[in-house]
Amino acid sequence: MERVAYVENLRLKFPGKERLLFKDLSISFAKGEKVLLLGPSGCGKSTLLQVLAGLIPHSIEVPMKAKKIKIPERFGYVFQDPDSQFCMPYVDEEIAFVLENLCVPRHEMNERIHDLLNLVHLSLETPHTNIQTLSGGMKQRLAIASVLALEPDVLFLDEPTALLDEEGTKAIWQTIKTLAADRTVIIVEHKIEYVLDFVDRIVLFNEDGEIVADGNAHEVFTVYKQMIAEQGIWYPNIWEEYKKPITAQQPFHSPVPLLRIEHLRGYRQKQEKIYVEHITIHSGEWIAVTGENGAGKSTLLQAMMKLIPTDGTFEWCGQPLQSEKQLLKEVAFVFQNPEFQFVTHSVYDEMAYSLRLEKRSEHEVNEKVNELLQLFHLTEQKDEHPYQLSMGQKRRLSVAASIINKHKLLLLDEPTFGQDAKNTFALLEWLEMYRQRGTTIVMVTHDEQIVKHFATRRWKIENGRLIADEQLVSEEKADVVFSK
Amino acid sequence: MRINIVHRETWLHHTNPSVKLLLLLVLFVAVVFIHNPNVLINLTIGFFILFIAYTGYPLKYVMLFFLPFLFIFISTASSMILFGNGETTWFRWGVIHITEESFYRGVHLGFRALIFALLGLTFALTTRPVYLFYSLMQQLKLKPKYAYSFLAAVRLVPIMIEEFQTVHQALKVRGVADERGIRGKLELMKRYAIPLLSQSIRRAQRIAVAMEAKRFTNERKRTFYYEMKLSKYDVLFFLYVLIVTLIAYYLAIAHPYLLIKDVR
Repeated sequence: MERVAYVENLRLKFPGKERLLFKDLSISFAKGEKVLLLGPSGCGKSTLLQVLAGLIPHSIEVPMKAKKIKIPERFGYVFQDPDSQFCMPYVDEEIAFVLENLCVPRHEMNERIHDLLNLVHLSLETPHTNIQTLSGGMKQRLAIASVLALEPDVLFLDEPTALLDEEGTKAIWQTIKTLAADRTVIIVEHKIEYVLDFVDRIVLFNEDGEIVADGNAHEVFTVYKQMIAEQGIWYPNIWEEYKKPITAQQPFHSPVPLLRIEHLRGYRQKQEKIYVEHITIHSGEWIAVTGENGAGKSTLLQAMMKLIPTDGTFEWCGQPLQSEKQLLKEVAFVFQNPEFQFVTHSVYDEMAYSLRLEKRSEHEVNEKVNELLQLFHLTEQKDEHPYQLSMGQKRRLSVAASIINKHKLLLLDEPTFGQDAKNTFALLEWLEMYRQRGTTIVMVTHDEQIVKHFATRRWKIENGRLIADEQLVSEEKADVVFSK
Repeated sequence: MRINIVHRETWLHHTNPSVKLLLLLVLFVAVVFIHNPNVLINLTIGFFILFIAYTGYPLKYVMLFFLPFLFIFISTASSMILFGNGETTWFRWGVIHITEESFYRGVHLGFRALIFALLGLTFALTTRPVYLFYSLMQQLKLKPKYAYSFLAAVRLVPIMIEEFQTVHQALKVRGVADERGIRGKLELMKRYAIPLLSQSIRRAQRIAVAMEAKRFTNERKRTFYYEMKLSKYDVLFFLYVLIVTLIAYYLAIAHPYLLIKDVR
């Protein structure tokens, strides 16, 4: 069988790290194979992909050594982040950039651009469309179109859907499936639901960057399912097998509404972007805010916290709201990208920050912080800089730091986005635990399963309006629970 | 967030960016060596007409863009007028000392600043960065490495503005108060700069790797999606500049507004 890419006895070490990431790793890929690389985060799957494409060491300088290596002559590489793989502002210009690199004559370009966009089913009014106006899924399809311009034999896909919602993810894999036919496709992906029926080979890595299993996709998946599950990978039926906390979705109502807002309007650039006539939130509710991309979910959360210019009458615990400051004191907000809200230089200080702002005694701060460090499994990292944490740890820290001074209401903007299964479940369970203690949770999410398993109430947002407000847990059921 | 104002495309948009840039650079230098305020005033009028009529933006916006530069005109001129040296005193009060010489010099400097502003704004409003860099690569043989790096950076700007707003909100949520004093302000600057820079640096690096993965090399041989050529519009632009200059000199000699011919 013809081998299109291989590496033998690869040794690679990141500067500053103590041990080798790969020690004498050998792997090869045959023509036309569809391969999925699986492994826990940090095991080096993406790094291996970069080595196989020659990006390491040519574009990214990492010391490495290999006895033998073959880099495919024609390859295309799709990256994870839709916002950092384009260098031009418009769709046609971006594809043209690749064509220019290949010295395609100008008079052939328009037709090629048109064909490539059709190939990935990206239908735009005109190819001269601003990339910023596209959704994440569309951007990733554009990324695929522009690598297809290279006429690749081998496609490297480095978690192309990690930052996409479910719909975008489906569309991307649909597109890749139709294009892959005789190409070799090497994939790194955490959400394997959509790829499992497409790949014919799975390579499984362990934490030390060693290959544990390599073979027929279905065999590897069945035999090593337990290990795959432990690695926090999203596999099909994971939610059916997941045992949620018994308290989940049990109503917890207090008679006095926590927050009431009448005629809430939120503005961006002086335009009304969200309008909700009436909002009442009770303690212990878990409200899932759902809706399509750009419907106004994040805007609603920002308006509820008065982070953007807002109109409306606010009532907190039955009393008219005194000031914006009160809202900031009582309500915690967790942003989608946790890095933006880190304000100190160590994990410990980060947790202690809001307590110190309230001038609590250092003894009390210490006690409280240590308790939460333990609860959120961050004790070992307590002296590290927040930026040095892994994605999952950063998210945990941002939530922990937000809830440390017992906020009654917690607003979260897609906190599980791009997280692996293990981190997602852990986070949801913590939130549930806090809900049981009376914290109210309002959370933007795209994940229907979270709504199904954890939320007690759902808000549907469309075009800046609240179009549905459904109780997912009925009051009769509540009686049953309380009478037990 | 993007500043996107609907505007017409005029013949100025169709001039070759490199030609436009070079011509403006020549004008920038030349204006420094003009010492007759009458000429400068006439030139200002000539470029003001170009700015108002041919940048293609609605008058409201054109005036809005121009406003800060009007302020520069006033501040440049007034500081020279009020505190400059001269022999023929018109008015004196404490440190304020207005003389005939300083008055004309102030006005002269003000108009010079105004011409810089008008030319710069006209260029900025009628030139898409993408065209500018394509033209620089084709007409002035700029290395593609630099051209595309700049274009990638231009793409990062709106993303950074969005991130700035997010950081602002995040700091508010975390209870970071506006700190007073110079140390406080420095501290606040750090709070914004570190997350913004760390995001941008990582993003820039990723874009660079992505560009190389798309076979971008430092070779000069490449085709161009936008083939920038010289056209009749470039001749038109050159003629406009030339004629305005000639008229400015003629009028300055034939019908001067101010009697002074040299402000030095």
